[in-house]
Amino acid sequence: MLVPLCELPVPLMMPTAMPGQALPPTCTFLNVGQAFAGTQNVSSSQKDEAWKVNVRLQGCDMQRGYLCGSMEALNVPSAETPVVTFWEGEIVDNKNYTFYTGKWEATKETDVKHWSKFSSFEELRDDVQKDGGKSFDLANYPYMFMRWKEKFFVNVGTDCGLTIAGFYYVCFSRSDGSVHGFYYDPNSSPYQKLELKATNEGRAGYSFATYQFQ
Amino acid sequence: MPASAAWARPEDLVESLSSLDNTARLKALRDVKNQIIGNKTKKLSYIKLGAVPRVVEILASDTEIPLLVQSAAAVGSFACGIDAGVKAVLDSGVLPHLLKMLQNGDNKVVEACARSLKMIFHSPLAPKSDMFEGHRMELILELLNNGSENVAEVAASVLARCCETLEHQQALADAGGLRSLVSLLAGSVKKQEAALDALAALTKHNQQLSAILIMMDQGAALSLIIRLIRDKSPRMRLLACMCLAHIGKACPAGYGQEDEVRINMLGILMKLLDEPGQVGEDAPGVLADLVTNNEELQKIAQKENAVEKLADILHRDTLPAKQLEGVLLALAELCSRLEESRRQLLDSQVEAPIVAAFGHPCEGVKVAACSCVKSLSRSVKNLRTALTGERLVIPLLQLLSDPSSAVQVQAIAAVGNIVLDFTLQKTVVMQSSGIDQLVHFAQSMDPILRRNAVLALKNLLYMADSVVKGRVVNELTVSTLCELIRDSEEDVQEQAISLVRNLAYGDPDCIDYVFAHGDLLLQAVEQQLSVSLRPEISMQALYVINNVAAGNERHKDAVMDLVAPHKALSNTSGFLLNRYLQDMINPQLRVVAVWCIINLTYPGGTGTSSRVTRLKNAGVESLLQKMADDPCLDVKDRVKTALEHFSTAVTLVATTSGQ
Repeated sequence: MLVPLCELPVPLMMPTAMPGQALPPTCTFLNVGQAFAGTQNVSSSQKDEAWKVNVRLQGCDMQRGYLCGSMEALNVPSAETPVVTFWEGEIVDNKNYTFYTGKWEATKETDVKHWSKFSSFEELRDDVQKDGGKSFDLANYPYMFMRWKEKFFVNVGTDCGLTIAGFYYVCFSRSDGSVHGFYYDPNSSPYQKLELKATNEGRAGYSFATYQFQ
Repeated sequence: MPASAAWARPEDLVESLSSLDNTARLKALRDVKNQIIGNKTKKLSYIKLGAVPRVVEILASDTEIPLLVQSAAAVGSFACGIDAGVKAVLDSGVLPHLLKMLQNGDNKVVEACARSLKMIFHSPLAPKSDMFEGHRMELILELLNNGSENVAEVAASVLARCCETLEHQQALADAGGLRSLVSLLAGSVKKQEAALDALAALTKHNQQLSAILIMMDQGAALSLIIRLIRDKSPRMRLLACMCLAHIGKACPAGYGQEDEVRINMLGILMKLLDEPGQVGEDAPGVLADLVTNNEELQKIAQKENAVEKLADILHRDTLPAKQLEGVLLALAELCSRLEESRRQLLDSQVEAPIVAAFGHPCEGVKVAACSCVKSLSRSVKNLRTALTGERLVIPLLQLLSDPSSAVQVQAIAAVGNIVLDFTLQKTVVMQSSGIDQLVHFAQSMDPILRRNAVLALKNLLYMADSVVKGRVVNELTVSTLCELIRDSEEDVQEQAISLVRNLAYGDPDCIDYVFAHGDLLLQAVEQQLSVSLRPEISMQALYVINNVAAGNERHKDAVMDLVAPHKALSNTSGFLLNRYLQDMINPQLRVVAVWCIINLTYPGGTGTSSRVTRLKNAGVESLLQKMADDPCLDVKDRVKTALEHFSTAVTLVATTSGQ
């Protein structure tokens, strides 16, 4: 998430998706409208900061390995108001997207280094380094790997002192909907950590909204 | 002195058309014809003077060849390029006479009549079904084999123009039209073009005739058409592409090298977009047909910058209606699935020309403009950054009141996407008459309009705040909503139930809207759940129950009374959810059913332990235990959570009773 431009660029996220004729998500926590809440941490030798983050999924299209949503950063030390961004995500499904990013200034080494920060990647690491992990059955793995890339600021201008130049490597747990992410931007402090949990927003149960494109 | 100086006054000339002297009649005919050629003003003034019925009378009653030829030619001149002329000749009853003269022994007469028919059939006013009455079609088909180049060409052109419905196509094919037209493909350029034109009309939306054409002469006819997409003549290339696009759309994957041919056609059509005149005007519509439902081809077109190229045309000052419609349709197809194409189109600043097209007099243009917006708005990102402003939404909403139902259907589909808005307040629609109109269409007699309107209202309620929800419930009313849930069309039922799902999404005050009239709505949903065999409907109904069960104690208890009434407890099959927990075909139904259980047993409620007991008695816990290794990962994970709720509740009960 967001980092002051002068020091550590901070990204935010919000999604775009396409339900409607899309395949349904393979995990109910990826339903459109699902909320996630947690924190983003920036730790470096100079400082140790953390702020609250809320994410809401707005679209999910498994067929295209696509999801999108909004990301709101609260209490960012360098920002005066909460900052909301819109992000789009790529699901690593070996059909639409692979573990190798191939853009956004991420080399294969960057990719493996970041994915390796997730303990759930351990099992796949050798396969990925051997053949990109193409033979691995990702569809039945308890974790989903994604990249979330913020596209634009929703409520503030680009002069808000934050940047969305980088992207998140994300590991999503299908069993409980928790999200772990590491922000990558060659110009930002490394390994800013995103930790989110699926939330029912304080209700006495889980509810699911729906929409359909024509 | 120019010859015109020698002409008599127009009134006198018209008078001479009915002269008893053959020579005078012939001269008058020639003079009138020569004066009106290419001159709309003259045509109109002679029409006003009543020249047309006199000309037609000559064709009807004279026998001399020069008189017949000249009168037929004059009819053609009146009908050429001006609808008032077409109307005048048709009103004078010319059609049966022209057709009768096609049997005349003199080829010059036949040719002149055929040319006039061609002029008439260029106009949308031409009475196309008339051509299929009696033996008229056989007559035209015979002319396809006529020795004269012009006659055969004209006959094919007439066929191309008047063949508009499935019945027309079938009648023509039954009379041997397909074979005759294919034979014509071996003729001169003019004959080939006219034959392609007619074959395109025969194969449009016609799977059977397309398949026959593919197989004809062991594929030789098709190969010839494929060769013609590379012909020297731009019109030939266009018509061959049109014919193949129709075949491809009606018969996907109908022949071996189709993918390759399509890619070639794409390149050819892209170049034809720049042609002047009719070829350039027709090319975008053919391009639209070519890329329909073909994502691979749409991707190639995107890489070839088709979107930018078409957007450039859209920015031209004046476009003929046909071209404008074709461009908008092609853009609608190209943007129907690919986000990158949508981005390119939005980057081309097309909002203004699209909004202008909403106000176009032609129905087809308005339909195409709506389709274009529908495609552009299939994207959360676009709805968050563009498309939801008043400048576009207000005129789009106005099209809901368009007199044409084709426009209404497309407009309502586009509105269905636009209302998503992705803001809580849905401001523009709330501040316009949009909701009234959607509520009105939700009660339409037309099932497609009804379904699209209910879908739009459902999308409007997606993550909407309580103000929006309250207004929709008030305007639509619970009783209408109940009727829609029990609609005769399953598509409407599904949309109505998922509308209730969105209504019930969120905080308890939203769920209260579901109980605006006691539990009438919930009962209607439960009824469909009990009787419907369609998994999509069951799924939406289960989501309604789930969302209500995520509410407060009152909401949860209402769900319990619905799904596990006290009197049915002795019989576990009486528990509504059990059927879905055991539905091994649809993991999506199992997973929602488990979510319902999770919500009903959600820890912390005052009635949780009593609900847990009732569910246990209904056999739910033991069913869930059997699902612990469900083949679907999502179901398996949710079952785990549900079972935890059961054991937590037991612990709590034990703790409580121990105190």
